[in-house]
Amino acid sequence: MPASSSGGPLAALSDDLAAAVDTVGRSVVAIHARRRIPASGVVWQPGVIVAAHHTIQRDDDINVTLHDGTTTTATLAGRDPSTDLAVLRLVSGAAAPAAAAADGAPRVGQLVLALGRPGTTVTASLGIVSAVGGEWRTWQGGTIDRFIRLDLDVYDGFSGGPLVDAGGRVVGINTSGLARATALTVPASTVGRVAGQLLERGHVARGWLGLATQPVRLPPPLQRGLGTEADGGLVIVNVEPDSPADRGGVLIGDILLALDDVSVRDPGDVLAALGGDRIGKAITLHVARGGRAERVSVTVGERPRAGR
Amino acid sequence: MPGAESPVPRCAESALHASFGVETALAEVAERLGRVTVQVRAGGRSAGAGVVWLRSGIVITNAHVAAGPRAEVVLPDGRALTAVVAARDPRRDLALLSVTAEDLEPALRVDARGLRAGELVVALGHPLGVAYAAALGMVHRAPTGARGPAGWLHADIRLAPGNSGGPLADVAGRVVGINAMIVGGLGIAVPTHLVEAFVREFEAATRGGARAA
Repeated sequence: MPASSSGGPLAALSDDLAAAVDTVGRSVVAIHARRRIPASGVVWQPGVIVAAHHTIQRDDDINVTLHDGTTTTATLAGRDPSTDLAVLRLVSGAAAPAAAAADGAPRVGQLVLALGRPGTTVTASLGIVSAVGGEWRTWQGGTIDRFIRLDLDVYDGFSGGPLVDAGGRVVGINTSGLARATALTVPASTVGRVAGQLLERGHVARGWLGLATQPVRLPPPLQRGLGTEADGGLVIVNVEPDSPADRGGVLIGDILLALDDVSVRDPGDVLAALGGDRIGKAITLHVARGGRAERVSVTVGERPRAGR
Repeated sequence: MPGAESPVPRCAESALHASFGVETALAEVAERLGRVTVQVRAGGRSAGAGVVWLRSGIVITNAHVAAGPRAEVVLPDGRALTAVVAARDPRRDLALLSVTAEDLEPALRVDARGLRAGELVVALGHPLGVAYAAALGMVHRAPTGARGPAGWLHADIRLAPGNSGGPLADVAGRVVGINAMIVGGLGIAVPTHLVEAFVREFEAATRGGARAA
């Protein structure tokens, strides 16, 4: 029985927030896949749970506690360290998926809730969206559709839990695993995309050249000699044996200036050009070699997965 | 609530848009709590808080705030009274202070076991020496049956030393707990049903003592 009818707008707001916690809380689960306290997860599709990769510290023997207190087992469908997401399949037991918020940016100042289930009961924290930005790249090369920063206190075990709007819809998945000392939200659109790939293939495919690079300044005489406006590039400091770059003939000491005519100044620019859709396709590396401009064609490979 | 035609999001938005009622209501809650919250000084330490529980002069605070046999209680109107620490229970972190005063307004209370995660809560106290400071937060987890502070009321709210012994209340201004500690950033409050039990035990012991005398 809501207090909104009698208690005025503050009571109505409080009641709506509690109702949002109750609604979405039915889709928030506890995930037992590490020592100490469990972490959180969200039922994304029937039988499919999304969690934070960094909280899943083992690939087997994963237990999940549902909202009704029952504990069941789950199998790991796949994980993507670059977006700190993992997907689990429930072996048994049923839980309703959460409703995702409509695509579109959350507004700065919007009231939001962070839910978790670090045990048997659901927990809630209140805050606001403090900043919203465009697409960004994690330090491990994952693409996040939107930057969402929170003014909200988070507590142990919240990672993998949902960010929820006042209407009880999931804005994204919260994690402490993508930035030092602050919680960020992976928006629902990114979660859906990554979860789809993990369910289909077990991993998120990423393009790979097999290069290690370091930013370097181009002295003016070299710029003139190359006929380029760019005053910097990336010096190749390592070429992995038998990698796509090695097979294409890239040499240590080459200075990478552009990929397919898009200039590169930062190692992140190379990662940005190597989405999963580039695998198997040729890419042209514009390099400075021995003071002369050269082009090297490389067929993009698939990034080998850690531990395999 | 007729969920089919009036979805929750519209309610939430209209609550904010329809009027400036939310902040006015918050101010009213803080004001109501201010009338039943006291300052408690014991020894040379900084003040804690307390809640007027019964009109007869019973004030509740934390056991760790009132460690000795007596304490000074400063009422909202500034009157300073000497209180007798009539009962203490360090396990529940509760102390019962007895003062002699007329016209005391007791706090409204409600059983915290009826709270739901996500409800808004307000704390009043004297954090870091700032008298009668209010804080807004949310029920992080309602009390569970677990023993000790792990089973008490957990709130997502910014508290500091000086909030100890003070009220945590719902949006109707009804006390749901006595703020007792901060653990991992969470405010932990002794839920009202434990306080009521503590007060009942004191009253029973007092009556028993009176009969025996």
